[in-house]
Amino acid sequence: MEILGYITLTIFIGLMLATLFGYIRTPVQTVLVLSTVLCLVVGGFFRYFSSGWDAVMLLPNEFLGGIILHPITALLTGLFLAGGLKASGGFEALKVILRYLRKSPIGLVGTLVILINLPVISSLPCGRILAAALLPLLFTFSFEGGMGILTKSQAIVLIGAFTRNAMGSCGPSPIGGVGQIGEGFLGSFFATASEGILRAPQAFSLMLGTAIVALFLKFISQRLYPNDVALRENPFTSGASEREEPEISAPMEGYLALVIFVASLLIAIFQPFGKMPVQTILVAGAVLMVIVCRVRLNSLMEGIILLPVTAMTAGFLAAGALAATGGFDALGIILNSLVGVPFLGIAGMLAIFVQFQTILPLSCARILTAALVPVLYLFGPAKFGFLDWSQLAIVMAAYIINATTSCGPSPLGGGGMMGEGTMRAETGFIKGAYTFASMAIMAPLAAIYMKFLNLSVFQPSDPAFVRDVLTIVQFTLVVVAANVALLALGSRLFGPDQSRNWLLQTGGFIAAGGLAGGILAFALFETNPSAIIQGMVGGMIAAILIGVMAPKVLSRRLTATLSGPEL
Amino acid sequence: MAKEPGKEIKHTREDTEQPLVLPGIHRYQFFSNLKDRGWTMNLDRVALFGVVAALLATILKPLARGNPATIYCYECRACYATQDRCPVGIFFQAELAVAARVGDYDRFIRNGGLKCIRCGNCQSYCVQYLPLPQMFGAMQEDTREAIRRKLAPRYVLARAMREGLVGKEFIDDVVKALG
Repeated sequence: MEILGYITLTIFIGLMLATLFGYIRTPVQTVLVLSTVLCLVVGGFFRYFSSGWDAVMLLPNEFLGGIILHPITALLTGLFLAGGLKASGGFEALKVILRYLRKSPIGLVGTLVILINLPVISSLPCGRILAAALLPLLFTFSFEGGMGILTKSQAIVLIGAFTRNAMGSCGPSPIGGVGQIGEGFLGSFFATASEGILRAPQAFSLMLGTAIVALFLKFISQRLYPNDVALRENPFTSGASEREEPEISAPMEGYLALVIFVASLLIAIFQPFGKMPVQTILVAGAVLMVIVCRVRLNSLMEGIILLPVTAMTAGFLAAGALAATGGFDALGIILNSLVGVPFLGIAGMLAIFVQFQTILPLSCARILTAALVPVLYLFGPAKFGFLDWSQLAIVMAAYIINATTSCGPSPLGGGGMMGEGTMRAETGFIKGAYTFASMAIMAPLAAIYMKFLNLSVFQPSDPAFVRDVLTIVQFTLVVVAANVALLALGSRLFGPDQSRNWLLQTGGFIAAGGLAGGILAFALFETNPSAIIQGMVGGMIAAILIGVMAPKVLSRRLTATLSGPEL
Repeated sequence: MAKEPGKEIKHTREDTEQPLVLPGIHRYQFFSNLKDRGWTMNLDRVALFGVVAALLATILKPLARGNPATIYCYECRACYATQDRCPVGIFFQAELAVAARVGDYDRFIRNGGLKCIRCGNCQSYCVQYLPLPQMFGAMQEDTREAIRRKLAPRYVLARAMREGLVGKEFIDDVVKALG
């Protein structure tokens, strides 16, 4: 049956690559369903001849098991609530509050920084919940949104950085976040792992990664794709300070809706009334809005965006079919076999493994995480023994943050598409920035944080706490400085030739990938030079795959791919 | 529209006289332009129907099978932290919850569902405190029924016996099914 896994894995990856590169021009849902059907047909044939008709009859149940209801329903309820907030004037109320905040000592920049980091502060189980609610608000900062406070470039950075932060905040979430998949496995050694052993490394690296995304969008993406964002420039930019700001007022219902919205989020996060599903709380909030703010049910329904919901479901179906036919087992075997490749070894293989979900970003991180975390667990003392428990925790931290952020750059219905839509950008505009930050900043910093701080918190035997904190600070400075230097160099070298710019960007990816792989290997094997070299080689291989997938030109190609040739 | 001998009728989507497939739906409205739209509109409709049907099936199946609590599982895998605290050595409790939701006997048996003694140790690790013992218990009864009605494939049962995945309460049923 092993051959079946390789066949279905080839079908899935082949169809995904053909879609990503524009050879198949249908919506992603169609391609994913096609992949599901093909995998099931091939799997059915194999099962019929190997195990009989009874085994074939189990296939529908098995692939339906691939559907993870939680992110789908969480997204729907989040969008539902956002619809209510919009209809009742809640965003107008937020604008008024933001105006007061801008005039406070933290100013406009401080306000925006808080807004950008709000997703990781609130850590909901799906980043789309907050993104659906707040992206329309961020859009209002642009000229077309009405407030006209920010220039086009600033609006791109704000929306892009916020979406990055949101599409990663599902990782550290304590109420059903993706990180809990890894924490569950680590619980077999670290007794208190389920209390959040992966949470702090993820939140730390996500905040710094968000900052790098902002820089990347400013200095690289906007130069690489200069004509692919349809936002208009503020015509009053030159005299913005003299221009009279439009008077903003909000109805009382708006303030009430805002209070209900914030209260719902707080109850969902802190669960003061006992454990209950986040969906229940959000729907209760929406119903309260209907009663208190007199919002029509239609307005709530208008908030629902179907693309991410259907794309996510289709993605789960495809993953379910792949799991049912042994595709993920084949993937695990392939990754395991990389250990024997010269110049890669264990460190190189792990450097590729932790970046795998950024290499193949799907619409929801849970799709691949649920399949690959058990594979990673087997690399530890449970089976293969490549890693001890501490090393496994370090790799898990790097892998999980890379995985949870992978729905951001996914053009297959990923959360980043919500940001691209809000900034009126072509699909793929944010991909380079998001994948770069996940690969070069988040994965290595999460590993370093886990090694030098979190392990000693969860295994309190290390007396050198202050020294370890200082080590993290040093590493963070080195990693961030090296990547900022790469961005600055890239932006200086960029010229009018887009092919050359893209090659420069790919070169930057490779350099940053090598650094990330080397740091991961250091976190695992300390000063073992051959392991560090292997890690760097693995990191560079992953970076080539990630860099090449960042589109060279956008020019409506990917939009046509996703929406059909008629658009 | 009179048919001329030897001349093929070419309907267009706007023809009002073309045959009806369903009330209000013209045959050629959907199928005549397949050569242009086969990769787009019609296929997309079928695919979207598949997506919606699968989603509905995932929600309705556990309701129909009397195991509705499985719908609420986040699949966050926090329950995996049970590890050694599970007296019968089940390591992947979330797999059992998913198997119970969709009625996947193979997955349930493979992950030790028939060994579960419903002690509830895993429940304390669930972020929502879902009634895992009841969920697994309901699925155990479903699986027992499936074994009796020969719906569970023989190779699944044989493997479960070989790997010691069948608890005392189910041994008789499994042995009987294997003949």
